[in-house]
Amino acid sequence: MTAVMSPGLRRFTKPATVVAILVVALLLPFMLSDYWLSTAAFVLIAAIGALGLEVLTGRTGQISLGHAFFLATGAYVAGWIGGNEHMSAAVWLPAAGIVAGVLGAVVGPFALRLRGLYLAIVTIGLVYIGQYLAATWTGFSEGAGGRSIPDVTFGSLNFTNGFSLGSLSINRNGCYYYLALIILVLAMLYVRNVTRSTLGRSMVAVRDRELAAAVLGVNVARTKVRAFVISSALAGISGALYGAFLSFVVPQEWGLVLSIQYVVMIVVGGMTSLWGPVLGSIFVIGLPALLQDVSSSIPFLSNGSNNGVIAPSDAANIVFGVVLVAFLILEPRGVVGIGHRIAGLARRRAAAQAAQAAQAPPPDTTTPTNPTSHEEVQATS
Amino acid sequence: MTTFVQLLFAGVALGAVYALIALGFTVVYRSSRVINFAQGELLAFGAFITSWLVLTANLPFWAAFVIGAVATALVGWAFQVFVLRFALGRPEFTIVMLTLGLATVLSSVLPTLFGNFPRSNGDVFGSSALHAGGFSFFWVQIWTIVAAIAVLLGYGAFSRFTKYGLAMRSAAIDPEAALAVGIPLRRVYATSWFIAGAVSCIGGVFLGGYPSSVSPTISDVALLAFPAIILGGLDSPSGAIVGGFVIGVVQELTQGYQPRYIPALGNDFYVIAPYVVMILVLLVKPYGLFGSKPAERL
Amino acid sequence: MRRRRITTGVVLCAAALVLAACSTSTGGGATTTSGSGTSATTMTTGPGVDTSTKTITLGVITPLTGPAALIGKPLTAGQQAYFDYVNAHGGIDGWKIKLDIMDDAYDPQKHVQDYNSMVGSVAFIAQSLGSPTTAAIESQAKANSVLLGTAAQSSAFVNESDNLVIGTPYAIDMANALDYITQGLGQKNAKFALVYQNDDYGADGMKGYKAAEAAYHFKSVAEVPYNVTDTSFTSQATALKSSGAQWVMVTAIPTAAATLIGTAAALKYFPHWVLQGPAWSEYLMTSTGVASGKPTPIEKAMVGAWVLGFEAAWGDTSVPGMSQFLSITKQYEPHQIPDGYYMYGYCLAEAEAKVIAKAISEHNLSRAGIVNAKEHLGTVDFGGLIPTATYTPANGPGDRQTDIGQVDLTSPGFLKIIKPYFESTVAQSMTFAAG
Repeated sequence: MTAVMSPGLRRFTKPATVVAILVVALLLPFMLSDYWLSTAAFVLIAAIGALGLEVLTGRTGQISLGHAFFLATGAYVAGWIGGNEHMSAAVWLPAAGIVAGVLGAVVGPFALRLRGLYLAIVTIGLVYIGQYLAATWTGFSEGAGGRSIPDVTFGSLNFTNGFSLGSLSINRNGCYYYLALIILVLAMLYVRNVTRSTLGRSMVAVRDRELAAAVLGVNVARTKVRAFVISSALAGISGALYGAFLSFVVPQEWGLVLSIQYVVMIVVGGMTSLWGPVLGSIFVIGLPALLQDVSSSIPFLSNGSNNGVIAPSDAANIVFGVVLVAFLILEPRGVVGIGHRIAGLARRRAAAQAAQAAQAPPPDTTTPTNPTSHEEVQATS
Repeated sequence: MTTFVQLLFAGVALGAVYALIALGFTVVYRSSRVINFAQGELLAFGAFITSWLVLTANLPFWAAFVIGAVATALVGWAFQVFVLRFALGRPEFTIVMLTLGLATVLSSVLPTLFGNFPRSNGDVFGSSALHAGGFSFFWVQIWTIVAAIAVLLGYGAFSRFTKYGLAMRSAAIDPEAALAVGIPLRRVYATSWFIAGAVSCIGGVFLGGYPSSVSPTISDVALLAFPAIILGGLDSPSGAIVGGFVIGVVQELTQGYQPRYIPALGNDFYVIAPYVVMILVLLVKPYGLFGSKPAERL
Repeated sequence: MRRRRITTGVVLCAAALVLAACSTSTGGGATTTSGSGTSATTMTTGPGVDTSTKTITLGVITPLTGPAALIGKPLTAGQQAYFDYVNAHGGIDGWKIKLDIMDDAYDPQKHVQDYNSMVGSVAFIAQSLGSPTTAAIESQAKANSVLLGTAAQSSAFVNESDNLVIGTPYAIDMANALDYITQGLGQKNAKFALVYQNDDYGADGMKGYKAAEAAYHFKSVAEVPYNVTDTSFTSQATALKSSGAQWVMVTAIPTAAATLIGTAAALKYFPHWVLQGPAWSEYLMTSTGVASGKPTPIEKAMVGAWVLGFEAAWGDTSVPGMSQFLSITKQYEPHQIPDGYYMYGYCLAEAEAKVIAKAISEHNLSRAGIVNAKEHLGTVDFGGLIPTATYTPANGPGDRQTDIGQVDLTSPGFLKIIKPYFESTVAQSMTFAAG
């Protein structure tokens, strides 16, 4: 399964463009209001988790609705190590990833026995079991009333108070933003390396034709388990940051709705693309924030003063459901897929013009544009 | 002893609702191999709209019930005809997420349309109960069991003795062969979703009966029914229905006795007990107790 | 092609650098935010204080959607009505009050986001509804000396300087009620039971129950928990019935209380039900919450149950503050039905107006100044709508009084006060740890 990439989209993975995006990302906190900065921090934190799910579901084809379980694991590990044991984030952040990854290795073997629907239902069960443990194992999670998760501290740097560098001051939201950005970049580099390795190709093989892959010598079991480990480790780190940023979590957070949100992120963003999780995360986290922000100006959105018809959070949910359905039916490759199509269209037009000018027949380099099953999705980067 | 009998009865009544949900699931699954993760939301929709028709539109209960069932059935039918139909042949992931998308939309449409607060289901039974031999049985629960059995028998007859029932069974066995002999698959699928919707409404209205109420969390009950259906067998309606009754009884008994005798397991155990059992069973039999491994072609 | 790619990159970088020149601190990029500093009239100001228009902006983070909207909407309406009245009558020393309201759907994450979005532009948070939600912003608020008008009766907040809590904690209500039943009514030898929600709220009820048990040694025959997600209460009802409890204290939410009482009634079990405030809602009686609505199936079973609270009966004009309360409501919220949460919001606003007045009199409307004003507020008289409260630097509950209402079909809001405000010895000695 070789990777075919539309030349148009290659533009966005070239060093110059990536650097430009990074620069914008670095400077963004100084341009945003506090509301949007905290939203942006949530976006980046969620993108880390979404990246994990992309590896598991998008690349390896394992349906998992259990992402909330691994996010919860990360948060509670952070709470325990940071809150009860008072250790710095340098300890609990990786620990959250490791513990979640270990649990992923435990759940992974289930995927060996179960297919599709059954795996989905077992992962749903995992979410319920996680919520039960969060409510019952009070020594660890402080029970149904929820627990506080301490702010990130690295030695003397405490995120609660922010951080100053000369005339530059970074408040709490900014600190979380930058930390999440650094981790996200590292995670994306890691996943990019994985996709270019043998493991990455095995994952795609398992996704597309598991039986054929096994016949060809791919170690299906090891591939699936490793996919689960990577996915849950990233989810653990994301969950830990999320809990610390929220500063307080309750068991109700970690329900099926959260898992579904992450699936929406990768479907909308693009299930086999490195940038898909980020784009999907911007959509899923950003839309409710946007609707809340404009709810005073849009009459049918209800907020405190006006008597609008629908709450911003409900409106966002409905949009998610509709968009999810639309993307699944019309463009399973998500926003990235739309990008491909536009790029492909532009390129073909340019090629056609060039051909007309040269009066030579246009080369047939069209990329597939029909929405087919995800088996024909292209791997990017 | 009183406690046991009361819990048992409550369990059978709850199991009746689970059996209705299970029927809804299997009808859709058998005909089109789709698991409808939105079953709970359809149930909630049915309960809310029936309640609204009685309490706000002031319709008599039975009229509201019928209209509500038809409305819910239409929602299910519309989803199949306008959305799911285009996903024919897509991978399982797509189908699963499509029904979850429906569930997400419904879960927000319901509070927007009907408000978020709990309300009575508007039925005519109210709080009346049958008192016999020192026990009390709510009439609404008695009627739940009766209605569920009636619906199940009715569906059984439909499936066995009518043309559509036969068509649905053939579509379940081999869709391509069914197409080849001229069975209108699309209509079969649409009918199965219509039935699933109607059956969900019935379950929802009864579930919201006294002393419970209709509230947005009523949809969660369907996810508790999953393990029953898996264990009973997605392929077998009778298995799923038996599973439904069993899970209902087990849930009530667990909820009643476990906190007192095994407090260490906490108070939420009854929620996950069916899932734990299901996971253990699936480890041994990955296609359910009665399922069979589908042949895979390269 | 190559040239175009480099150009794109350079242009993006340049644009970013230009935009970055906007601000040197993160989160400072957008509109709002009034500055801090001292104005010409030597009034120390802070965020949310606009000296040019003499407006103080307060934040409200409340559930306007979701099941908790039943509480959030009327509570917010009560606050708004009082502040509307104040603004129409010269404001507080000429300062007008503006509320910035955001919906959190009772979700701690949204609560945090809403707080983050508004904290830079408000003087303090006039309403943070709920315990888990307020807990989520507590440490940040403390770190920045932001006063939180906390609409939650859990004990966790009463000992904090930066939380303004009116009314009586749940634990004290429970202890007071048990004192009245065992001592006042002489029911020392009866059998008591407690039904409690499996979370902090239930733990508070349990705290009061245990304190009373230790003091009065009544017989506790059952302590039955339930989860918010439970839909069936058969097991709890049968457990209570077989325990033979004659008085059942209920620390629950309305749907749970209603289902429990209904199930028990069908089992022919009719103890004295004593509900904590949040377990009651007028919507348990009819579909619209007023007598003209359709009666609910459990209406009959609810009659006679006791409801613990700390509010006066709606419409009781013997209470000094009632007529002004009623006329303000008529003018600014004419469609408001009798509702305890509305009255609570109104009283919360009254207390906050006094905090602002004190801060103004000390010429200090900065964050720290406002918290200081709250700590030194002294006694606040609510005209009898709720008990007189006292706020000192030692913190602790504002008041320790409870009144008991009985469910009655003919009274406004379906509650008839059968025992006016009282305070028990047990309640006086209860202590609360800092949250």
